[in-house]
Amino acid sequence: MILKNSYYKPICVEQAEGNEQIFRIALLPDCEIYNGHFPGRPVCPGVYNIQTIKECVEQYTGRTLRMGGIRQCRLTAVITPQECSELEVHLVVTPTEGGYRVVARICDEAQTYLEYKGEMSV
Amino acid sequence: MSLFDIKELVPQRSPILMVDELLQATDDEAITRFVVRSGNVFLSADGRLEETALVEHIAQSASAFAGYKARMEGATEPPVGYIGEIKKFLCSYRPQVGDILMTTIEMGAEVNGVTLLSGVTRVDDAEVARTQMKIFVPGK
Repeated sequence: MILKNSYYKPICVEQAEGNEQIFRIALLPDCEIYNGHFPGRPVCPGVYNIQTIKECVEQYTGRTLRMGGIRQCRLTAVITPQECSELEVHLVVTPTEGGYRVVARICDEAQTYLEYKGEMSV
Repeated sequence: MSLFDIKELVPQRSPILMVDELLQATDDEAITRFVVRSGNVFLSADGRLEETALVEHIAQSASAFAGYKARMEGATEPPVGYIGEIKKFLCSYRPQVGDILMTTIEMGAEVNGVTLLSGVTRVDDAEVARTQMKIFVPGK
């Protein structure tokens, strides 16, 4: 499964204050997943947004990672590819013994859609 | 034996349909089954599912359980629910093609359309993933 260029298209990466990275992405409304989620009413699957976070962390760290645990992930608003064509993935990635601690959120100018805390291992 | 055709219980369809059958359901507990097949959208290059597949499978297992309850109460369409929160998700094994996922869902109380639940997925009787989750069904 690779969501880059099937579910989303990367626009750019910015270094924000502190050690926060911002990945700007555009959602691709023609992604096949919308055939089933849901027929005639496209809604972004929450797990696809979590997977998008993982791909951004992999790009940032340059390593293939495993997501053995999600401490907490709050999905506070529904995302549709029509209403949210562009999104920001904010990441704070801290190295740990076996991998990285990741705090992430997905938002746009209007609101935050998803907040994630978890560990990804090498 | 399965209870209803799965498409009568969940609104998801291919390519993201991640539950095959609702096998058992009581008031607060249900068991589902899912076989990993080639072509699954969550399969990674190493031939195993991404961990997020297990989150989705547990969510859809809960959705099938909720759909069954709604059917028993006379609903004609499966309810559309969204994942509101995932907590304490752990995945110790990434299933591969041919693996049979058996998942037990324990459903908690519903408050304002939000239901707290927990799910445990097993392959060959060994636990492979577990999570707590809140599912939100709008308009309830």
